[in-house]
Amino acid sequence: MAKNYDVIVIGAGNGGLAAAANCAKAGLSTLLLEKHNIPGGSASSFVRGRFEFEPSLHELAGIGEEGDPGMIEEVFDRIDAHVDWVKDNSTFRLIVPAKEGDKDTFVNENGVEVSVDVRMPVGFHEFSKKLDEIVPGSYDSSMAAFDLSTRMFKAFSYMDEELDPIKMMGVLKEMPDIMRMASHTLQEGLDALGMPKKAQGIFSTYWCYMGVPASRFDFLYYMCMLHSYVRAGAGMPLRRSHEMSLAIDKVIRENGGDIWYNSEVTKVIMKDGKPAGVQINGEKEVYGKRFICNVAPNFAWNDLFNVEDIPAKQLKMANARNIACALTTVYLGMNVTKEELGIKDYSVFIAPDINSDEQFKAAQDYFHNYCIINCLNEVIPDCTPEGTCQLFLTGMTFGDVMKNIEPKDYKKFKIRVANDMIETCEKALNISIKPYIEEIEIALPPTFSRYLNTPQGTPYGYMLDMWDSMIPRTIQFGKDQPFDNFIFCGATQERGDGYGCAYHSGEKAAALTIKAFKGGK
Amino acid sequence: MADLKSLKATKFIPMLADRQKRFDSSAAMLPPGSDQARVLARALHPKRQYLKVANVIDRGQDCKSFELVADETRGTKSLAYFGAGKYLTVFETIDGMSITRAYSISSSPKDSLEGKYVLTIKLVEGGLMSRYILDNWTVGTPVEVSAPSGNFEYQPLRDAKKVICLAGGSGITPFISMANAIADGDEDFEMTLLYGSRNYDNILFKDELDELVKKCDKIKVVHVLSDKIEGKKPKGTEQGFITAKLIKKYAPKDEEYSVFLCGPQQMYAFVDKELETLGLKKKFIRHEMFGEFHNPASQPDYPSDVPETVSITVTIQDETKTVTGSTGDSVMQILEKNGISVPARCRSGECGFCHSHLLAGKVYVPKNLEYRRMADYVFDCIHPCCSFPLTDLKINVPVAK
Repeated sequence: MAKNYDVIVIGAGNGGLAAAANCAKAGLSTLLLEKHNIPGGSASSFVRGRFEFEPSLHELAGIGEEGDPGMIEEVFDRIDAHVDWVKDNSTFRLIVPAKEGDKDTFVNENGVEVSVDVRMPVGFHEFSKKLDEIVPGSYDSSMAAFDLSTRMFKAFSYMDEELDPIKMMGVLKEMPDIMRMASHTLQEGLDALGMPKKAQGIFSTYWCYMGVPASRFDFLYYMCMLHSYVRAGAGMPLRRSHEMSLAIDKVIRENGGDIWYNSEVTKVIMKDGKPAGVQINGEKEVYGKRFICNVAPNFAWNDLFNVEDIPAKQLKMANARNIACALTTVYLGMNVTKEELGIKDYSVFIAPDINSDEQFKAAQDYFHNYCIINCLNEVIPDCTPEGTCQLFLTGMTFGDVMKNIEPKDYKKFKIRVANDMIETCEKALNISIKPYIEEIEIALPPTFSRYLNTPQGTPYGYMLDMWDSMIPRTIQFGKDQPFDNFIFCGATQERGDGYGCAYHSGEKAAALTIKAFKGGK
Repeated sequence: MADLKSLKATKFIPMLADRQKRFDSSAAMLPPGSDQARVLARALHPKRQYLKVANVIDRGQDCKSFELVADETRGTKSLAYFGAGKYLTVFETIDGMSITRAYSISSSPKDSLEGKYVLTIKLVEGGLMSRYILDNWTVGTPVEVSAPSGNFEYQPLRDAKKVICLAGGSGITPFISMANAIADGDEDFEMTLLYGSRNYDNILFKDELDELVKKCDKIKVVHVLSDKIEGKKPKGTEQGFITAKLIKKYAPKDEEYSVFLCGPQQMYAFVDKELETLGLKKKFIRHEMFGEFHNPASQPDYPSDVPETVSITVTIQDETKTVTGSTGDSVMQILEKNGISVPARCRSGECGFCHSHLLAGKVYVPKNLEYRRMADYVFDCIHPCCSFPLTDLKINVPVAK
């Protein structure tokens, strides 16, 4: 007779890993099921030749200083998982190459004519001062925004512990600025603070980390993210994010939890209108009392349930919500050093326009001159063998943009997209990349679909549009879950995508699950 | 000081109601269960492909080509398209043992669209799978394979426009696929194939290669014959081995070129030394994996005092078994010989599909098969296909599916 687990976690993405580790640590008998052969989903790595690539991570905002751990470190500290962190004390460089008709253009240090080229420093004051240098008159509004974000973190820690929407609303009413931020867009917020438009563009550069442009992204959440990066810089795991996932894997095992890889849940078994077990790889059945699901709801409903077992509200929710952006990424192992290439920054955002809405609009085509280029050697100098470096290029897409591509055209299409992204970087930085490519891998939405099993291959979950933004999701979290013993976690939940957000969703799902056992329910 | 006073805090209240209204007014039906990203992912990377043998071509010298087509009765409707150079992992059960082998696809990508893969299999001395396939696969035999896999492909953003392809024996198979892809217009590079065979009568795919050269001016073939040639040297042949001198003779003089290699381990050992003298950049030399590694004790860094046999306690999902095996076999081979299926693709360390947790004990991994991730060393993860036990082991292996 198979074991009846206290909790079965479906999917070992960041959310599922954090959920399983916290449940196991709390003494619940825990089974984590993953369809792939390694943990992490996005948080992984892959080897090509003499290079090991980071597949998804740009930078972790939650890596603090000695004695002042950031939020991500705390996630690992809470479960006694050990990762070697490497600190990065930069935020981003933004380059907007000059277009015809642009005024106020100049030739940057790379010899490229640009309308914007700025490296933004860490620290609220330093960041605001730099912004003011580029766009005079923006210091006060920038500092005011950081002042707001500092205050709102207090509200967050409260909301994590409260599930009752009425109590939550009561507390929020005491914080009118938080309510203002939560109910207005990034653009509205910055307008109200009187930030000049050009400064707003620079200020909004990180929109793409959540996939929502300034006119659709709530001011509160954007500030929460920007604050985390600007406060104390970012960090990376020393051994790619595979290290983070294996560190959590270890905690689960050490605390008596089971992890089964290559074990895809193919069906949720229902009993008395509630999940009671799962079927694995179409054969084996395992039973459990409570469930945490790291599969995107749209696919979970389609793939794991009979339609008559799904609460109507869940189907309505799935149809009402928008699928977020998807990514195109190119991984390059270079046979020259970053100095030889002429790269001086970890993160360079290259955009066809300074306005995030224009950037977002451009993303609806594959060939759009929007590209982020990361060079991990800037943060971890010896992350590749001597005399080499690695580059990571990220572009965005939105919608079902693959619809006209057939399997036989796919390889050529991938090469075209990668070529376009590489050339965007070559032009904006006035450097030569192509002759030095020793290893290359290209990931388009089908690649993400394969590894993450998400609609349209999005790593971002549902679009964090104003109406479906973080605070409404948080207030309604309890009501949004489908069964009283089944909770979703991952990028589709409250805080959307990002490692920290996904870990948070797993911790929260675990906390609720543990509470249910303690409460004897 | 700038503030938000001009924004209405009360706007927050109706936001929640708006969300609810949007949900309420949506349809209570399943959301789309697929999209083109998923369609492509599934078409290109099916978990398994169920095929059957449609035709067998005997090529002599213990070598046969098997034409494989989709077996609709077992659920495979069409074949996954692939880039020339990829391999299929074949799953077989021989005397109760589940075993796998990777074989390069010798047919063209275009053939797969027309419903056919060809695997060309030559008898390997002492080879269990090749013997079994050559003896048992006939027209109608059901065959189970993986999705096309591997990284031995032409990549225009990385490789030179001109490629010297070095093949030995049955290592010709991916190059037959690539040459056909060039002729079909699916790949765009100039191929000069230096193909090592023992003698003129011994050349696999001789007629197909002649045909390809005739059809497409981007393909050149030189047969490098190791046996002494009696009488007049046939046109398009060289006598001897694939040496640096020979490569230089056929390589472009004033432009960069790539070298692709596919053949047995002995060929790599020889040719890699020759290539060193040419001073090519690493990016321009690409090897196909040479298959399973044997005889770890022959390696200079192999430790002494290794027992002849060890026991392995293996947990797969909720089942734990203890088996014994020879330290001359990889962990994967030991498990398979004991009737335990292990997830396997490349069997050469590279693909990482067999990634497993080593809970206790020590293993030896030949240096040139180290493709593990850095964190794998910290957290004691191994690739069983190229890990050889040095002591009794306790391991946790994902289920083979």
